Amino acid sequence: MTLSDIVGKPLAMALIALLVCGLAYPLFVTLVAGVAFPFQASGSLVTSGNAVVGSYLVAQNFSEAVFFHPNPSNYSASGIDPTITLADAYSQIPRISNASGLSRSLLYGIVDNATSRTEFLFGTSYVNVVSINMYLIRRYPMVYGRYASG
Amino acid sequence: MLSLPQLLWIAMIWAIIIAGAWLLAKYLFNVYTGKRSRLDRFLEPVERTIYRLIGVDPSVQMTGREYFVAVLLFSVFATALCFAILVLQGYLPFNPQHFTGMRWDTALNTAISFSTNTNLQHYAGESTLSYMSQMAAIQFEQFVSAAVGICVAVAVFRGFSGRFKGIGNFYYDFVRSITRVLLPMAVIAALVLVSAGVPQTLGGYVTASTIGGGAQTLAVGPVASLVSIMQLGTNGGGYYGANSANPFQNPTPFTNWLEIALMLILVTSMPFLFGRMVGNAREGRTLLIAAYVIYGINIAIAFAGATTLAAGMETGLGAFSSTFWTVTATSTMTGSANAALSAFNPLVILAALFGMFIQAAPGGIGVGMVYMLLYVVLTVFIVGLMVGRTPEYLGVKILPKDIKNAVIGFVAHPILIMVPLALAFSVGAVSATGVGTGPTGFTQVLYEFTSAAANNGSDFMGVAANTVFFNVSTAVVMWLGRFIGIAVMLVIADSMLHRQRVAQTGLRTDNLVFVAVLVISIIILTVLTFFPVLVLGPILSSLQGLGTI
Amino acid sequence: MGNSDAGKQTAGTGHKPDWTAILSESVTRMSPARLARNPVMFIVEMAFIVVAIMAADPTLIPLVSSQAQQAFYVYVAVILLLTVWFSTLSDSVAEAQVRSTASSLKQIEQEVQAKRLDSDRHVSPVSSKSLRKGDIIRVEKGERVPIDSVVLEGIAMVDESLLTGESAPVRKAPTDMLIGGSTLVSDALVAQVSVDPGETYLSKLINMVESSARPKTPNEAAISVLLLGLTAIFTVVMVSILWLSVTLSLGVDLSVLIALYVCLLPTTIGALLPAIGISGINRMSANRIIAKSGKAIETAGDTDAILLDKTGTITLGNRVATDFIPLGGHSAKEVGEAAFMSSWYDDTPEGRSIMNLAYELGCVPREFRSISRAEATEFSASTRKSGLKLARPGLFLFPKGGKTVLQRSRVRKKYAAVKEQGPELDISKGAPDAIAQSVRSVPEGFDEMVQEISSSGDTPMAITVNNEVVGLIRLKDQLKPGIRDKINAVKVMGITPVMITGDQPLTAKSIASEVGIDDYVSRAKPETKMEVVKREQASAKIVAMIGDGTNDAPALAAADVGLAMASGTMAAKEAANMVDLESNPAKIIDVVMLGKQLLMTRGAVTTFSVANDVAKYFAIVPVMFSSLPALGAINVLGLPPQTTVLAALIFNAAVIPALIPLALRGARFKPQGTMSIFLKNALTYGLGGVVLPFIGIEAIGQFIRLL
Repeated sequence: MTLSDIVGKPLAMALIALLVCGLAYPLFVTLVAGVAFPFQASGSLVTSGNAVVGSYLVAQNFSEAVFFHPNPSNYSASGIDPTITLADAYSQIPRISNASGLSRSLLYGIVDNATSRTEFLFGTSYVNVVSINMYLIRRYPMVYGRYASG
Repeated sequence: MLSLPQLLWIAMIWAIIIAGAWLLAKYLFNVYTGKRSRLDRFLEPVERTIYRLIGVDPSVQMTGREYFVAVLLFSVFATALCFAILVLQGYLPFNPQHFTGMRWDTALNTAISFSTNTNLQHYAGESTLSYMSQMAAIQFEQFVSAAVGICVAVAVFRGFSGRFKGIGNFYYDFVRSITRVLLPMAVIAALVLVSAGVPQTLGGYVTASTIGGGAQTLAVGPVASLVSIMQLGTNGGGYYGANSANPFQNPTPFTNWLEIALMLILVTSMPFLFGRMVGNAREGRTLLIAAYVIYGINIAIAFAGATTLAAGMETGLGAFSSTFWTVTATSTMTGSANAALSAFNPLVILAALFGMFIQAAPGGIGVGMVYMLLYVVLTVFIVGLMVGRTPEYLGVKILPKDIKNAVIGFVAHPILIMVPLALAFSVGAVSATGVGTGPTGFTQVLYEFTSAAANNGSDFMGVAANTVFFNVSTAVVMWLGRFIGIAVMLVIADSMLHRQRVAQTGLRTDNLVFVAVLVISIIILTVLTFFPVLVLGPILSSLQGLGTI
Repeated sequence: MGNSDAGKQTAGTGHKPDWTAILSESVTRMSPARLARNPVMFIVEMAFIVVAIMAADPTLIPLVSSQAQQAFYVYVAVILLLTVWFSTLSDSVAEAQVRSTASSLKQIEQEVQAKRLDSDRHVSPVSSKSLRKGDIIRVEKGERVPIDSVVLEGIAMVDESLLTGESAPVRKAPTDMLIGGSTLVSDALVAQVSVDPGETYLSKLINMVESSARPKTPNEAAISVLLLGLTAIFTVVMVSILWLSVTLSLGVDLSVLIALYVCLLPTTIGALLPAIGISGINRMSANRIIAKSGKAIETAGDTDAILLDKTGTITLGNRVATDFIPLGGHSAKEVGEAAFMSSWYDDTPEGRSIMNLAYELGCVPREFRSISRAEATEFSASTRKSGLKLARPGLFLFPKGGKTVLQRSRVRKKYAAVKEQGPELDISKGAPDAIAQSVRSVPEGFDEMVQEISSSGDTPMAITVNNEVVGLIRLKDQLKPGIRDKINAVKVMGITPVMITGDQPLTAKSIASEVGIDDYVSRAKPETKMEVVKREQASAKIVAMIGDGTNDAPALAAADVGLAMASGTMAAKEAANMVDLESNPAKIIDVVMLGKQLLMTRGAVTTFSVANDVAKYFAIVPVMFSSLPALGAINVLGLPPQTTVLAALIFNAAVIPALIPLALRGARFKPQGTMSIFLKNALTYGLGGVVLPFIGIEAIGQFIRLL
């Protein structure tokens, strides 16, 4: 076995692999993703005006009574899971209705529209808190107007 | 307990994956046997350039020893490059958050962890690693360690098959694994993931002013390109500390099930590839069924309790998918997670440990099938004698030296788990991390070394294990766990290559009876080896009613 | 299994086992120095020493023992010691069996007085030990053949029963092989010594038996490695548990841990492995087969194809004439007379049967009186015919003595004086196709009759008088008793029998189909066997064959398993890897079955041993971690803790002597398909191995409770 077999070839292979897999590949994916899916690629950011107010994928502190509250952070390994169960969402409707003046049946309808299931056809029904709250802000500016600013 | 829709769902997922894997195996067979392909027009010039740059003749057949040395040295250099990038990331570009270099022991652990396809993470990526490190250290090693796994499997298959002129050339297999298998698949998977919401950007972390007032840092980055190769290559090391429990890494049920499918697709295609390479599809199918039966048994153990995951956890993914994911990630040696292990019923942990003890059902990329063949050699030898013939597999008589090598490979695993386990408790390394000494604490440390030895990377201790003791001890365990198994199987395959093939008139190895024998033998060998530690850990937890049983 | 008859055991069964010697031998073998060759049992003995120390004074080993358990330690120590002893006992019993075989063989080989002939034919008495290869000896009626030799002169009956178990005396004529230790029962022989003392078949057989324990066969070596691996795993597990127990204060008692360790160690197969190998060789020797290596026996078990000589293996070898069929207007009497004449110089069993048939039918020809003046035409492989030529005969005189067995010497003496000159008579007999080539034309119906005789499995032989075909002789082949079952057994086990015969295709086909052989080679020439061996090996088969002639030597050497007849030529015996002293070609089948049985026994005991461990874990682990009461849930046996441990240990030890008979006699099996045998053995030894200890430990446990 020559020195080239022991050092040259494996080291050269590793360097080439680093350039191809460690740089060319992620940069290429970034480039294509940025063109094809700019919204998702940058983090599914929620903007209000010019300001970034969060991400649809990351829970944030909606502590006001007029909003659906996310799970406490210790309900998920990440601490930033933006989803709550359908039952949880339903249980918050009376409070939101009282605070916002929106009718319960209206809120039930909105929640049902925003519900997904973990196995599409069955499984846990859940609601994305950021999405549903942003929907409320945009759909009902009369109630949520003060949250809509930038 | 699994409901009927859940059972049907699992059956559907498996059916889709197995069908896809069967198709993929056809393609892989062409890739590794050098069949002409339409891709040649684009890829051959690239590959030829690479061969020229590194100065190899890809047609030269290596001996088992040469192949192993090439694998080992390549991994050494990959580890070294990764280590250097992690330690020096503060001085390198693509570091918008200005992270400083990693501590030496964490960097050593991480470099070895990723080059051995383990991906044990004693750090949280989003608060530790620069974009440069996430790409040029992490993604680089996720590619190459997966490719090395496939190379070893293909070389071993060639030896068992005896239909090839040698066990192959590492550089040929490696380059083609990257250019024709992993890169194209990873690019497609990454773009699909981006379309479903996984970020892919080189812009820095985003600071948002939230609706409720206050600032929120959104840790984005080149996530999708990492997630695709991490699942596809059964690496499992995530972009984030919470792995795929982080909604950026796994935003929707669609990405959830896609990532599960990515973990399984290549490892499931390996037995099919084996069948094609040995020239008998039934032999490959038998091993696939055996692997899936054990995987299914692990699923059954995990779902045996009344509940699997603490109530209310991971609502967006659900207890069913989280449990299924955990068993799949530990059965495939991916080790990725979409929920915290501490929230699971001890039976789920038991199933996960079982998957990592066996490491062949279906096991990590490439090496899973290699370990399955190790079990086949042992099983055929033990029970094959009972038909009154010298045991043979694929017409090759099993010799004392094969048994010696297989036994070394088999014995290494418990040694690499139990010795450091006892050591960790006796030197006080465990109490230093704050992990308790009750059955849960015991399980966590057992899990840590099992995951390291099996090159799984699923971790139950997390950043608590970021101590010099655990960084160094698991690094040693990961390295030995990776290369002892590879070495002995390459030696066995190499010696089988030129051995006389006899008519297969002994114990048949291509039918359901053999599936049953193989499965029972694997389970008995595993239980015999690990029963006492399982008793002290998850079995005791379960019996004491800890967790959610 | 159906190897050879019980009668074959003659030499081995005269001795009752000497139990005093076996017991003292088994105790001597327990010394650590001697036990070190068997790592598993050595470890058990070391474990005994540790527990014995605990039993003597628990405080010597603190942390993991307690004063209150001292009595328990004594029990554990005693059972551990018993375990070791059972293992050495099984070795001793197996070796005693071997010794008794060897000593009975040695009795046959004992030194005798021999008569050596000098160059001037002068007889000088010498000891058999001083005979050397090439010496000429004379052996007379009632004397023992002093050493292996080849007959030069004379014909005599020889009793080989001590060697082969075959009670009927064997006829020995020039070029036949005499085995040292056999006895002449008639006449006298002059023979040339073919080996030096120490190289005789008998001493080779004794050597094989006595050295059977030494070189490990490939499978044995592989099992040893596996056992070492299992031992290593359990050692690692137990050491870590001990270590953890001390660190985490789990309160594990060392004696319980050791009990579990010893139970898990593959003690059963570890203890019996040597005995299985020894008894395999012993069974070979009981069948009077000398295997040149243990590997040869294992290879025999791997056989895929067996080449069987039709004559001697499938048929008795002496075809009998049953019919004279006249052709072309000749009478049956003419055919019979011609057949009689043609066989006069034919000393084969067939020739004699033709003469007997002719005599019985009254076809003794007039020309008989001038027969001594006839000129014999010997059989040759090229013409494939034989016969005689003589001058035109005169009057024939019927011999006195009526219907007795015809004895050539007597006839010749009586009529040798008659001399009369007449015209030439040329009679020959031979294979129909050979005869057809040598005559101008064959009579009507010749081909049809040949066809008919052949297709009924008999052999036709054509007779010519002065180059005119007068008729055919029907020779009937007689199948060996039981051969059909043996062939069937071989076939169901997935082995292809290939019949080799010099017969013509139709005869071969008929015989083959009668015994159920699909693959046969007819009109075989000397080199055919080699071709068939090569052909079968080319299709990746392991080939076994028998042979005796020099012609067979290359094929015997090429075959994976070559069994030579002791009566065969030196070249054949040297090329083969086994020699059959009985020279019974059908024994190749027994050899294959013996090889299979040996492998099967090892596999069965290994599987049983590993499967046993499952129950032992469930029995002992809850006891071991008795400080964790929640684990009581996995205590499926429901026995008190210490009782469970003792019961498991006793079971573990008792299995060894219980399996000694299995090890010595070999696993029984019926010839069946590979899958059936596998399923049966997997259920018996695998599933049985899992279930039996649960029952056994529970039963022993209940018994202990009663005490």
